[in-house]
Amino acid sequence: MHDTMDMVDDPEYDEEEPSFSDPEDYVDDVDDDELLGDILREKPQEADGIDSVVVVDNVPQVGPERLEKLKNVIHKIFSKFGKITTEFYPEADGLTKGYIFLEYAAPTQALEAVKNADGYKLDKQHTFRVNLFTDFDKYMNISDEWETPEKQPFKDFGNMRHWIEDQDCRDQYSVIFEAGERTAIFANDAKEPITFEERARWTETYVRWSPKGTYLATFHQRGIALWGGEKFKQIQRFSHQGVSLIDFSPCERYVVTFSPLIDTKEDPQAIIIWDILTGQKKRGFHCESSAHWPIFKWSHDGKFFARMTPDTLSIYETPSMGLLDKKSLKINGIKDFSWSPGDNILAFWVPEDKDIPARVTLMQMPSRHEIRVRNLFNVVDCKLHWQRNGDYLCVKVDRTPKGTQGVVTNFEIFRMREKQVPVDAMEMKESIIAFAWEPNGSKFAVLHGESPRINASFYNVRNNGKIDLLKMFDKQQANSIFWSPQGQFLVLAGLRSMNGALAFVDTSDCIMMNIAEHYMASDVEWDPTGRYVVTSVSWWSHKVDNAYWLWTFQGRLLQKNNKDRFCQLLWRPRPPTLLSADQIKNIKKDLKKYSKIFEQKDRLSQSKASKELVDKRRTMMEEYHRYRETAQQVYQEQKTIRLELRGGVDTDELDSNVDDWEEETIEFFINEEIIPLGDL
Amino acid sequence: ICILWDCETGKQLALLKTNSAVRTCGFDFSGNIIMFSTDKQMGYQCFLNFFDLRDPQQIEDNQPYMSVPCNDYKITSAVWGPLGEFVIAGHENGEINQYSAKTGEIIKKAKEHTKQINDIQPSVDLTMFITASKDNTAKLFDAASLDHIKTFRTERPVNSAAISPIMDHVVMGGGQEAMEVTTTSTRIGKFEARFFHAAYEEEFGRVKGHFGPINCVAFHPDGKSYSSGGEDGYVRIHYFDPPYFDFELEA
Repeated sequence: MHDTMDMVDDPEYDEEEPSFSDPEDYVDDVDDDELLGDILREKPQEADGIDSVVVVDNVPQVGPERLEKLKNVIHKIFSKFGKITTEFYPEADGLTKGYIFLEYAAPTQALEAVKNADGYKLDKQHTFRVNLFTDFDKYMNISDEWETPEKQPFKDFGNMRHWIEDQDCRDQYSVIFEAGERTAIFANDAKEPITFEERARWTETYVRWSPKGTYLATFHQRGIALWGGEKFKQIQRFSHQGVSLIDFSPCERYVVTFSPLIDTKEDPQAIIIWDILTGQKKRGFHCESSAHWPIFKWSHDGKFFARMTPDTLSIYETPSMGLLDKKSLKINGIKDFSWSPGDNILAFWVPEDKDIPARVTLMQMPSRHEIRVRNLFNVVDCKLHWQRNGDYLCVKVDRTPKGTQGVVTNFEIFRMREKQVPVDAMEMKESIIAFAWEPNGSKFAVLHGESPRINASFYNVRNNGKIDLLKMFDKQQANSIFWSPQGQFLVLAGLRSMNGALAFVDTSDCIMMNIAEHYMASDVEWDPTGRYVVTSVSWWSHKVDNAYWLWTFQGRLLQKNNKDRFCQLLWRPRPPTLLSADQIKNIKKDLKKYSKIFEQKDRLSQSKASKELVDKRRTMMEEYHRYRETAQQVYQEQKTIRLELRGGVDTDELDSNVDDWEEETIEFFINEEIIPLGDL
Repeated sequence: ICILWDCETGKQLALLKTNSAVRTCGFDFSGNIIMFSTDKQMGYQCFLNFFDLRDPQQIEDNQPYMSVPCNDYKITSAVWGPLGEFVIAGHENGEINQYSAKTGEIIKKAKEHTKQINDIQPSVDLTMFITASKDNTAKLFDAASLDHIKTFRTERPVNSAAISPIMDHVVMGGGQEAMEVTTTSTRIGKFEARFFHAAYEEEFGRVKGHFGPINCVAFHPDGKSYSSGGEDGYVRIHYFDPPYFDFELEA
């Protein structure tokens, strides 16, 4: 590339440079807008700065000597939210007025400042109040005219409790089969399940019922949907990309959804709490640790929900979704907590800390009053087991006693209904496989020992604190305990690796009512009334023989339902009864009268079923015989052809050619018996 | 290969070499014509071959008088029709075809099963036949019209089925394929032969005893016993008790 030469210096260039100026009277016909539009748009506007301005109130009023220091403090606090471009400290009478103006580089930063600094306690007398400058405008200009909000059309989903009104008290259950392709709702009848609803691709993974049975939740890539009412219409939809787990509040007002996809710092998206009736997103939370789901545990009445993070227990209240008392509980080393299912009482435990022994604490909410503390020594681990009504708490404590190597298990039984919550300890000699309280009673069942010597023990907690061993069964094939929701009866099951051994027990006298087996059973589910038990082999754990079997509570097998690639069966929960305790007592008194009516009804339907079956069979047989007769006719007509094919030999019957047969009798030596006839 | 034996003396009367494994074979009603099918393997297609035993030249030259190729789905089981006019063949995809023994054309078709047909057995008078399929069912058909008459459902693949010569019963045996057996019960004697009522399509009895899947079942021609052979290497012969013959489902 050669150097450019100045045009003027170029000897070859002789002509005078033409003039490029406009003629004197030229009028521009190009708009400034057209020419410079994009640049003009960026021209700073007078009104522009207002969205980024915040007003901070309750700033200390200082004189000029402390102003520098004040400005530094303010700067330190507020530059966290963004770049402060301008600050204005109005003064009067030599002191700052007590409020200041800060301008940020962008409106989003101003918003951050409002969100985070509003309510900031600088010192005892000064708590900052931070607002957007534009908000002042907004509030000053509120229209004097009141417009009533538009009335939303009422979405009638029908009777949401429709299924409870079934004349024959059939409970419903959901079944997912064909590896998840089909989901069906059946009404449970002892004879055979009645299909209520069946849809393809209703859910993409699995389903969940709400705690009182009102809603069925289905999972989809974009969120979850709730269905209910007589026709299972879609009640509500919650958009949460990649949702994988959900949890309902016990009162069915809220649902919590969890998605493991990335969430942003500004807008927590991992866990979201929704209001079911309005469909609104109430609050979002981050999910720090990969803890056990549900991360938020609800109190029984839905008033509070809490979660545990390292050294902290955060309790929130509804409906505000804010932290109770605006702060979390600091509990060093907290390992686990749970709510009583009957009262707003929290139980949590902390392990040993230097000289302080491990302890379990019961705390009343919202007062935070510690009802009971129990010290425990040489603790390795604890598990909290509440009885379903909150009457008892059992803490299973694994300890290594001083001077030994092995691990011993204690049960600390808290009797919640008695004054000052007395605690009794019970030592278990063997390792514990399973523990379960009777749902509404004072008994509990324990599976202990090591395979193959597994024992099942049943205990009762008496009022005076004595824990009686009612019975122990040894050499059981069981790894799980399933109590009937009404108490008294339970099923001991050896699921999965134990090949589906089942034992049905009546704990009123600790008798094994029946021992049976559902080979490779993976789940056991009691119906909500405690009348039926379903054992099932899920395709998710075993690829063959997928089916669910229906048993009575006594262990009598009623049905075997094979379903192509059956995955999951869940009973629909029932809402709590509307009857008073007195009404229930009266009904129990008159039970004999009701029994007669029910038995009659049962007998009628049985005979109706048999009659239907018998009629069906009769028709099938007649049809079949007619077909056989025609076939036989054709067969007879073809006899000549057959004779021809076999050279005149009739082979139609086994004995068509008896003359051809030779009979031969052969004797085999089988046995020799010598009978002495005595002296002859 | 396909071998012709003399039942009385045990002598090999003929040996016919083939390019691929012989899957199924049989005599027609007259006993003069044999058919056998070869598998689709090693580049060779599936063929249905017909030899006339009255013409020794065919045997000597290993030249069937007719060889019918089966495109797509190979034949997995086949039996002769009642009078030797056609062969009823079951295919890998569940199809059933009637092949004419004279022309080799497909006279009739039926597609009722959804998976491979493992076994076909005719009734004693050859008027109907039962098919056992991997789709967990066995079906009863009319031999001449290929009309689908009955279906018997189970939850396991059916390997073999047979029709009782004297009662309205069918017997079925099955289980998982050998490769998949580890996932099913290996407990003693868990594999069962199952008896269904032919008209009601209802199961009324099971016989335990095999340690592995049952591969073949057959009724004795007099209908008083049946036998079953299984993966476990055992052949079991059962004689029916008197109650079996009196048994009736309420109708």
